[in-house]
Amino acid sequence: MRISDFLSESVITISIPGKEKTALIEQLLDLAFRTGKISNRDAALKALLDREKLMSTGLENGIAVPHAKTGAVKDISMALGICREGIDFQSADGKPSQLFFLLLAPENAAGPNVQVLAQIARLTNLESFRRELIEARSPAAALEIIRKAEY
Amino acid sequence: MAIDGLTRNVLVYVDGSEECIAAAQAAVIMAKKLGANLHALYVVNVSLLEELLKARILVKLEEMDYRQDLERDGRRYLHYVAELAKKKGVEMHTELVKGVGNREVVKYVQEKGIDLLFMGEFETMHATKDTHFDEQAWIFKKAECSIMIVKRPDHVERVYNALD
Repeated sequence: MRISDFLSESVITISIPGKEKTALIEQLLDLAFRTGKISNRDAALKALLDREKLMSTGLENGIAVPHAKTGAVKDISMALGICREGIDFQSADGKPSQLFFLLLAPENAAGPNVQVLAQIARLTNLESFRRELIEARSPAAALEIIRKAEY
Repeated sequence: MAIDGLTRNVLVYVDGSEECIAAAQAAVIMAKKLGANLHALYVVNVSLLEELLKARILVKLEEMDYRQDLERDGRRYLHYVAELAKKKGVEMHTELVKGVGNREVVKYVQEKGIDLLFMGEFETMHATKDTHFDEQAWIFKKAECSIMIVKRPDHVERVYNALD
């Protein structure tokens, strides 16, 4: 399961104007929404925010993986945000988050959902991958870095 | 009785992928032609869930939810492949276990005396060089039986459909 299969330049941004968690989630959700794969934006947002209430998806090493299962998608839908300066995402190590992998998964595809989450974990576990991606100068460059790591 | 006893027990590893359906069809064909016992195994990869929990990507509630979902999906996949066998008059023994996919396959092969293992084509992911995640390599190395990786699913399906 490759995350690059679920990403395209149109759902990657290296321009994150806000510094607030919910605004960032909404920005990434809007990118994913524009692909037409999300039938109900509000329901998807509610699912993401409800998940954040359980525990922040801000991990260690500048990574955040806001995610949720929702009936608003029929297939896995992703977006990626890169913010070199970092944003407070209530991360596990207390440091600012720089890479944001937003993932919306359908209710009935547990296997693929788990595999995509695991693939994000494996990739972002590589220090060189994180460093390269944070330095990406464009969505195209970011996508190429991910593809290179996966193929 | 299987031809000269070379292949008495055939196993198909069901991982829920499209590729494993072709593997199941090929296993049915082979089991029928050779008169071998046919097994299907699905592994609920609880280890992966535990890793995601440890990495804090999942919270406990999600992990439990996914565990139930994976188990339900596994039973559905096994039912599907058992029906594929039944349609061709072959009895299939299905089993769902929990653990690490590759290790459970290797264990099952040993415990049940499997002679031939069928698997669908796996994806190649260079990002997952970590041997823990390299299921196919692990099975190749450790499984004490012959292994058939099933390719050309369209061709396999045609042969399966033509089987009496």
